[in-house]
Amino acid sequence: MNTTYAARAAAGALAALLVLAGCSSKAKDDDGDKAAAGGVKTGDGISGKTITLGALTDMTGVYATLGKSVTQAQQLYVKQLNAAGGVCGYKVRLSIRDHGYDPQKAVSGYTELEPKVLGFAQFIGSPFVAAVKQRIDGQDKGLVLPQAWSAALLGSPYIRVIGSTYDIETINAVDFLMQEKGIKKGDKIGHVYFEGDYGESALVGSRHVAQEEGLTVVEQKIKPTDNDMTAQVAALKQAGVKAIVISAGPRQAASLVGVAAAGGFNVPIIGNNSAFAPQLLATQAGPALMKNYYVSSPSLPIGADTPEAKKLVADYQAAYPKDALDNGIVAGWTAVSAFGEALKKACASKDLTREGVDKALLSIDSFDVGFGIAQDFTDPKSASSKQSVILQPDKSVTGGMKVVREAEASEMAEAYTPGA
Amino acid sequence: MSTFAEILLNGVSLGSVYALIALGFVVIFRATEVVNFAHASLLLAGGYVTATLHDDIGFWPALLAGIAGAALVGAAVEFLVMRRYRGADHSVLAIVTIGVDILLTTELTRRIGTDVLVMGDPWGDAVLKLGSISLAHTRIAAFVAAALLITAFLLAFRYTSWGVAMRAAAESPETAALMGVRLGRVSLGAWAVAGGLAAVAALFLTVFPTPGLERATSLAALKAFPAAILGGLDSTTGALVGGLLVGITESLATGYQSDLTFLGRGLGDLAPYLVMVAILLIRPAGLFGTKELARV
Amino acid sequence: MSEALVKPLRLVRTRRTRTYVWTAAAVLLLALPFYLDRFWLQAGLFAMAAAIGAIGINLLTGATGQLSMGHAFFLAVGAYGYCVFAADGGDGLTGLGLPTWLAAVLAVLVAGVAGGLFSPISGRLSGAYLGIATLALVFIGQHVMFNAHDLTGGANGRDVPPLNLFGLTFDDRELLVAAVPFGSAEKLWYAGLVVLLAGALFARGVLRGRPGRAMNAIRDHRIAAGVIGVPVARHRAAVFVLSSMYAGLAGVLLALVFQRTVPDYFGITLSLEYLAMIVIGGLGSVSGAVAGAVFVSLLPQLLTRYSDALPLVSAPGTGGIAPGEASRYLYGAAVVLVVLFLPGGLVRVAARRRVTTHPGEER
Repeated sequence: MNTTYAARAAAGALAALLVLAGCSSKAKDDDGDKAAAGGVKTGDGISGKTITLGALTDMTGVYATLGKSVTQAQQLYVKQLNAAGGVCGYKVRLSIRDHGYDPQKAVSGYTELEPKVLGFAQFIGSPFVAAVKQRIDGQDKGLVLPQAWSAALLGSPYIRVIGSTYDIETINAVDFLMQEKGIKKGDKIGHVYFEGDYGESALVGSRHVAQEEGLTVVEQKIKPTDNDMTAQVAALKQAGVKAIVISAGPRQAASLVGVAAAGGFNVPIIGNNSAFAPQLLATQAGPALMKNYYVSSPSLPIGADTPEAKKLVADYQAAYPKDALDNGIVAGWTAVSAFGEALKKACASKDLTREGVDKALLSIDSFDVGFGIAQDFTDPKSASSKQSVILQPDKSVTGGMKVVREAEASEMAEAYTPGA
Repeated sequence: MSTFAEILLNGVSLGSVYALIALGFVVIFRATEVVNFAHASLLLAGGYVTATLHDDIGFWPALLAGIAGAALVGAAVEFLVMRRYRGADHSVLAIVTIGVDILLTTELTRRIGTDVLVMGDPWGDAVLKLGSISLAHTRIAAFVAAALLITAFLLAFRYTSWGVAMRAAAESPETAALMGVRLGRVSLGAWAVAGGLAAVAALFLTVFPTPGLERATSLAALKAFPAAILGGLDSTTGALVGGLLVGITESLATGYQSDLTFLGRGLGDLAPYLVMVAILLIRPAGLFGTKELARV
Repeated sequence: MSEALVKPLRLVRTRRTRTYVWTAAAVLLLALPFYLDRFWLQAGLFAMAAAIGAIGINLLTGATGQLSMGHAFFLAVGAYGYCVFAADGGDGLTGLGLPTWLAAVLAVLVAGVAGGLFSPISGRLSGAYLGIATLALVFIGQHVMFNAHDLTGGANGRDVPPLNLFGLTFDDRELLVAAVPFGSAEKLWYAGLVVLLAGALFARGVLRGRPGRAMNAIRDHRIAAGVIGVPVARHRAAVFVLSSMYAGLAGVLLALVFQRTVPDYFGITLSLEYLAMIVIGGLGSVSGAVAGAVFVSLLPQLLTRYSDALPLVSAPGTGGIAPGEASRYLYGAAVVLVVLFLPGGLVRVAARRRVTTHPGEER
């Protein structure tokens, strides 16, 4: 009795399934590239008169500070772009998903947005970019501009890191120590770095210099949850280092600099771009940071003395009066501007498909949004710039950073090939 | 040698802060037999109150407010949530505290946002130099405060009627209730005390050498778990020893990571857990915990 | 007397309606890949994987009363184990190049072995001690994942080789079925359903049989269980191994869905999520684990998906609640409220309704 029911049910189910499947909206129809009026070819991510760009950000997780600034800067850009008439008569829209630095949400966010967007102007978290890399390179082929400066992401014509990667940034940082701070062959330098992609990428850079220039790197690996650098400073002091590089978060940098200064351990300390936030200047470590701390950055700071930077600061403050000015804004602005530039070029060659935009970006060889560094996107295998600006924290300046060495690519950085 | 002394002293001071957190744990466990995974959020709550108030009312009143605030939050959790579940399975109650923790932590991190809140403490970044050893004033203050609080607590536990009621409730809730101990009050008191202790710990976890209170501060409570367990969950002495052991282990594993590279770098967080597992293998109830006895 | 006559009739009727319900559900589940886009299928697959893992931890924590916070570790063992066994080593990482089905089986077994190796701890400790001791596994696991670069690929993780069964590769190469293009999500959907069904039936068998009664006895009173002749230590170790294997299986499925394993995923939060699932769904039952898993894993997806419609993430800086936070509020509250108002979890609500409509029949 029970078996007949089951059999009958199964047969019915199968029949129903076949009937239903025939009329699915997912069924393959010819949705190839369309040629709209005016002869501009369009494809995924454009519907009606709107171009949609994706942004996978982190506003509730460990990179919340970065994510917030980058996203707000990008929203500001899009607003201004649309006010100026958009691209090719299309309005641009950002579709934002906050993944809170959770891999599952990040991958879901990508899966959800991918069919609906032309490309991604923001994607925070290099492990997550790596997670969808196969799909980007294999079938999606949309342009993705990650907010992660890892050398591991280089090489794809679709995933384009903007500015120098962490390893190159670190090479330039150590170069600064050698040129300006008297570090020489045979010296020991300390390197405090985060476990994970960022820190380990930076470590490749410092090891490279050490090998080339005969330095010794004393390594101290930390976790993002470590906030107290007392033990690290003690160990580095014991090892007799002459300078310290830190590739960690702003809090770790503040603790490191504060502890070193308080203990009378006055060696120069230089951090990567992500190892500073203007909020720190209000903490106990503020004075020490201003005295003895430098930051190697892929662009001029937000408070740079260029008309574009001044305009960005004014606009940003008008739009988000309560929020801090930091270099995340510059990063977000640069990325979305590059995307916008690629869109305009693609429009000029009447091809706004993903392929067209990818190609347009590859033709941009000197792109500067007013932050001192020209980006060259013609070679997917290398970073779009090998230059770094050396900054120093300064409370009196907008954004809390002033320039101590203008944009420059050290000889070592020029000669360096990532992954070699 | 001086490096060793410096690392050791820092470990001791850090350990005394962990001991404060672990003690709160143990107090709640003794009074209610519940493992309180919401401890992290109590810590964050205390720190948050202190950090937001110190500008207006000065540091010491703000600290008192922070302690009172965290105690209040603890008591509220007991009164509004835990009390409703009396008689439920202890594992289930532990999971309920996880739910409470998610709620409170989400709310507090949302409020803190991307800021780093400073505590406005009077010690600043001053450092005491003893020969070649340098030790931050905050570290000394942490050790002194923890030692005072723990002593006061142990005395209260032994000599006040509240302490007697606590111990009686831990020994046998039924008997204690028959003898006139009001179990509700005992557990309310335990949660409040744990909150207060966590607030003090929050202060010392966020002053120099750490830049300030931010969303990840509550993760420090994760280090108090092994401290409470390896000492023995129902032993106040155990919490003290466990806290110190965790602090010293962490400090040494970090300070000497260059000599421990065969285990991979960045051992600081892991080492306390390894020590805990090793101790549990030998003493399943922790160093000072009472072995479970049961009648069928 | 009359009741005895009526009862079989009613039983037949409920059985018939139940068959219809199950058939309808089965048709629906089988038809979904033809309609839903990849995002929903992927969300469903995450839920399936979570359900398998939750069944495992429900056997351990729900049915046997052993609190475990180390579930994420065993998921990681399954996920990375599969990669190591199945990869061909082309990317410079360790890979044995075994057939992928064998790799999946071996990964599950390795997760079981890892659970067995922990038995000196898991066999002796209980309650809070066991819970926090298992927390150590998560820390150790993440340390290994970040540091054992040859095995795990370090922080950026490693690629997961697609599953290959009977000549069918579960990758993104399109396969047309009734004019619908089948990518990896569509194909894996069916594999996921089969694995989940098998896992659920097996667990139900365990729970309803002698072992299940022994496990409940251990949970309710360990010493009494020992006295009446239940081999307590052996059962506890066995359940721990079984639960680890379920976690390993969930890990393999997750890896296949993600197409890449990253260490960040396998943290404490994940372990806590699994505990939340079984409490919300219902402790000690298979259906409870599945219901809780679906709830906890779909909630954030839903909220994020519709964040454009809810005025949240689109207006940052306005102090609004981000969808990530909203989902955390909701499931935190769910844990607290379910235990308070629905002891027994979501599945008990359904069961209770059935009891009220047909008094005396269920159970």
